[in-house]
Amino acid sequence: MATTLERIKKLFLENFDLPEERLQPQATIESIGLDSLDKIEFMFALEKEFDIKIPDREVKLDSIQDMVTVIERLVAEQHVSQEQRAQ
Amino acid sequence: MRRVAITGMGIVSPIGNNCEEFFSNLAAGRSGIRRMSSDFADQLSIKIAAEADFEAETYFSKKTARTMDRVSQFAMVAAAQAWQDAALELPGEEKRRAGVYLGTGMGGARTLEDSYVQLLKQNVRRLHPLTVVMVMNNAAASYISMAHGLKGPCLTFSTACSSSSVAIGEAFRLIKHGYADVMLAGGTESLLTYGIFKSWESIGTLALEAEDASTSCKPFSKDRTGFVLGEGAAILVLESMDRAKKRGARIYGELVGYGSTADADHITKPSVEGQANTMEAALEEAGIGTDAVDYINAHGTATVANDIVETQAIKKVFGQRAYEIPISSTKSMHGHLLGAAGAVELVASVLALKHQTVPPTMNLTMPDPECDLDYVPGKARTGLDLKTVMSNSFAFGGTNAVLIVKKHE
Repeated sequence: MATTLERIKKLFLENFDLPEERLQPQATIESIGLDSLDKIEFMFALEKEFDIKIPDREVKLDSIQDMVTVIERLVAEQHVSQEQRAQ
Repeated sequence: MRRVAITGMGIVSPIGNNCEEFFSNLAAGRSGIRRMSSDFADQLSIKIAAEADFEAETYFSKKTARTMDRVSQFAMVAAAQAWQDAALELPGEEKRRAGVYLGTGMGGARTLEDSYVQLLKQNVRRLHPLTVVMVMNNAAASYISMAHGLKGPCLTFSTACSSSSVAIGEAFRLIKHGYADVMLAGGTESLLTYGIFKSWESIGTLALEAEDASTSCKPFSKDRTGFVLGEGAAILVLESMDRAKKRGARIYGELVGYGSTADADHITKPSVEGQANTMEAALEEAGIGTDAVDYINAHGTATVANDIVETQAIKKVFGQRAYEIPISSTKSMHGHLLGAAGAVELVASVLALKHQTVPPTMNLTMPDPECDLDYVPGKARTGLDLKTVMSNSFAFGGTNAVLIVKKHE
């Protein structure tokens, strides 16, 4: 199965015309040439891809590594709670 | 008071995505009307449309293709063509005296409709974050100003089917009265969606499908049943005559008259008086008499009401002269582009001047005694000596607009 990082990279490439080598874990939204509206739009794409809800505030998502960390945490929290609810 | 030249034109239409292709199809009587390709056609009682052959990916990056409504994409492509056609170069200083005036009936209605489907049918939790900027009516004009760095007035006009004629007329006056030197003006529309079709179906002005779908729109013909919805954009470069001459620009013609009136009568029913007033106002501004007009591109929607009213209005203004002027409704081929209709038809009129060819009214096979003027049925007329052309746009809401262009000599 693809890692979180791989899935994020794939999502970037599907949504924007970017050279893949720019997508390093330490790269930030700004450093890969995207603006604030692009960032909001990408958050939306991440929510769909990972079936999570990213809280509107207080989440640090500057770099690709931040995204991996936050998404893995949110997936663990939100998917577990969904399973618990299902039970 | 300054003179205003047309120095560039661009188009995305159901019969071609550049001016040459567009006009050669018009002159040949080729229609862009056919059975719709959309999957929702099954659920419609009228399944025909005039679709533009337009894939966003051909012109735009992945991001733009996804985050710009089709209505803005059409406008951007038409504007880029017009810009290139005019061979425009604007140094920084001049950009502040250059602007964009566009017309659109419903702007990003396609995105709005998609959003409602997602919210109400698919129960999504959030809408795409760019929904607002994709839907807003002024997006197309703003994207054009951004793309070409135009820092003067940037406005969007919405007067239903006369929107783009109004935009062009207002831009013309802006240059005429010295508020700007260069304007990109025109209109764009992209409304071939399920909800919009259903709305038009209900009001009963859409043409019934003919055995050969491409012949369904029959302006001025006794057996006419209405118009066919179309999509696309047309943009013209308007420039002060002095500037155009100084830089040796190719001048398609001189915009000389604009009439803008309201029927103040009925929300949908056309008015002879209103239409006639508008043509008279345009003639007055142009400073020409009725003898000077050599071609009229009619609003010619092929609804029962419009074609009779427009015929009567032309007679009211032109008297006996009305019988001598070739008049055509090119909507029989490119469909009704609503907010973009006036711009598309002005391009057709200007190209008629350029090629000295009047495009035909197609599918006029059954004369209507109430429509008894020369509508150039079935076949284009070539080798003419056209000097002045008029383009009519009338609208639901009763906002009328008429434009007059003179050959540049």
